[in-house]
Amino acid sequence: MHQPARNQQSIYAPRPCRLLSVTELTPNEKLFRLQLCDKTELQHQPGQFVQISIPGLTEAPISVASSPTRKGYFELGIRKAGQLTSALHRLQAGAQIGIRGPFGRPFQLDALDGKALLLIAGGCGLAPLRSLIQYCQDRSDEFASVQIFYGARSPEDLMFQQDLSDWQSSHNFSCRYTVDNKPATSCFDGETGLITNLMNDIQVEAENCCAVIVGPPPMYHPVIASLRQLGLNKPKQIMLSLERQMRCGVGKCGHCSIEHLTCCCDGPIFWLEEVEHLRGAL
Amino acid sequence: MLKQLSRSDLEQLLEAVAKNYALQVPQLLADGTRQLGPYDNAELSLSGQPLQRKPTSYFFPQTELLLTLDAAGNVQQPPPAEKPLALFGMDRTDLAALTFLDQFFMAPPADDIYLHRRLNALLIGLTGDAGPDSSFLPLADDGCDIELIAINQKWLALGHSEAGKSLLRKFNDGDDKQLVTLRKASRDQPSDLLQQASQLLHDDLVPDAFWEEIADRCILCSGCNLACPTCSCFCLQDRQTPNGTERSRVWDSCQLDAFMREASGHNPLGTEALRTRRRIHHKLVADVERWGELGCVACGRCDRACPTGIGMFAVAEEMVERFGLRS
Repeated sequence: MHQPARNQQSIYAPRPCRLLSVTELTPNEKLFRLQLCDKTELQHQPGQFVQISIPGLTEAPISVASSPTRKGYFELGIRKAGQLTSALHRLQAGAQIGIRGPFGRPFQLDALDGKALLLIAGGCGLAPLRSLIQYCQDRSDEFASVQIFYGARSPEDLMFQQDLSDWQSSHNFSCRYTVDNKPATSCFDGETGLITNLMNDIQVEAENCCAVIVGPPPMYHPVIASLRQLGLNKPKQIMLSLERQMRCGVGKCGHCSIEHLTCCCDGPIFWLEEVEHLRGAL
Repeated sequence: MLKQLSRSDLEQLLEAVAKNYALQVPQLLADGTRQLGPYDNAELSLSGQPLQRKPTSYFFPQTELLLTLDAAGNVQQPPPAEKPLALFGMDRTDLAALTFLDQFFMAPPADDIYLHRRLNALLIGLTGDAGPDSSFLPLADDGCDIELIAINQKWLALGHSEAGKSLLRKFNDGDDKQLVTLRKASRDQPSDLLQQASQLLHDDLVPDAFWEEIADRCILCSGCNLACPTCSCFCLQDRQTPNGTERSRVWDSCQLDAFMREASGHNPLGTEALRTRRRIHHKLVADVERWGELGCVACGRCDRACPTGIGMFAVAEEMVERFGLRS
């Protein structure tokens, strides 16, 4: 057995980082911009996640929402859902928190090279997908085209509204979004209906197309069915990010297992054909 | 290297081990069960029922401090143990369980917390006539530094590692012929019940209704997980102390509803039937897929611990009985 040096940091030891800014995205979601206290880059890849550590509240896995091509900081889009994320929402710029990571298998960028991309997100799935979208913006010549589709429950749940608008006008990009329900009092004049409605009139050459799906679990089956109808039937054409309760991030704690796989190490990004036959994966 | 030890040789060996290791030896408790405990003045229990508590818990304890965080976020790791551990008295299944856990925790990224306990530890297996009423326990032939094989009130001693061989060097040589006979007697004759059950699950021949039935009998005590020497799931726990926040890991159970429940409410194991299936499927199919071997070492602890009779062997038996003919 290889002996690790005792002064080497434990795989469970968080690194300190500083909150540079906090921006409200929706009533329940905020964007946290962070920097490691030693001023080094996080060295992540799009699709990876970190474990946020707050003393007294343990840790929570959060996907990185910014691209590594944007230097000097990294961003996390976080929904207030449990004790730890509620505590995070109370923090202000200047506060210090701990992180471990980055962890997990990222989006398979090599496989996306030169392809027409369909990037599909539901709910707060847009946060992890944003790391890839920003990467595509910064390396737009590497992709044939980028079509973004996003669905939220209601107009006030739409995350990253400024980004949505920017992406509509980016080179090589298109961006469409929809809300499931629009309150009668809402002045929202965008599209309503399920995200699959946006996909009915997609024009793509299926041969050269790759889709990426990040969303809440109920979204996967209908979106995959729509993509199949568009002709995305070959292996390595549909990539997805699976959400699980990843407690350790290093494949040991067992909470994110999907049959023989661990979501934190073998994922969270999978090719559809790697997981579609596994019970409970989708 | 084969040696033969008398009772006084055995005591000499343990004395020598205790000088450099925190030695734990098998002892008989007042209730008739056997446990490992500190060597000091302990009366050895050299045969009897399997050890009640899984010996793997010495390397992956129920609660284990990972680190302490001070107010400024500085991380302090717990000091290393004064002496490495030495465990005496593990049988073949216990040693197999530890080999399995070694493989699991060492897989990259290696778990440094486990490694610091496990590294330099010494394992002395106990097989041969060491079972209940001195019945025969099959040889391990691996997975330990020294294997003591009880035979006729003496012990054949096999040194498997350099550390083990060095400790045995001074003792008299043993008779290799005896070893051949013992190895023959040890040859696997276990029922292939678990293999059959594994195949049924792999081939998806066990209907969901079966898991609902088994789940109905489960009282959610989580004893199966806590007793199992290859179960490795844990959660993190923080505790505020005057020195800062102590972050520990604590055994968790896949039989509990909160095991996989996410903050969003999504729960991939949201029913008792799914969780019961997971417990068995993980050991008999998922571990085979991942590690190339069953995750169950057939120690029988979960069957003995389960108050409602749905331990691994009981469930495997029922599965094979009811669905085996279809394969």
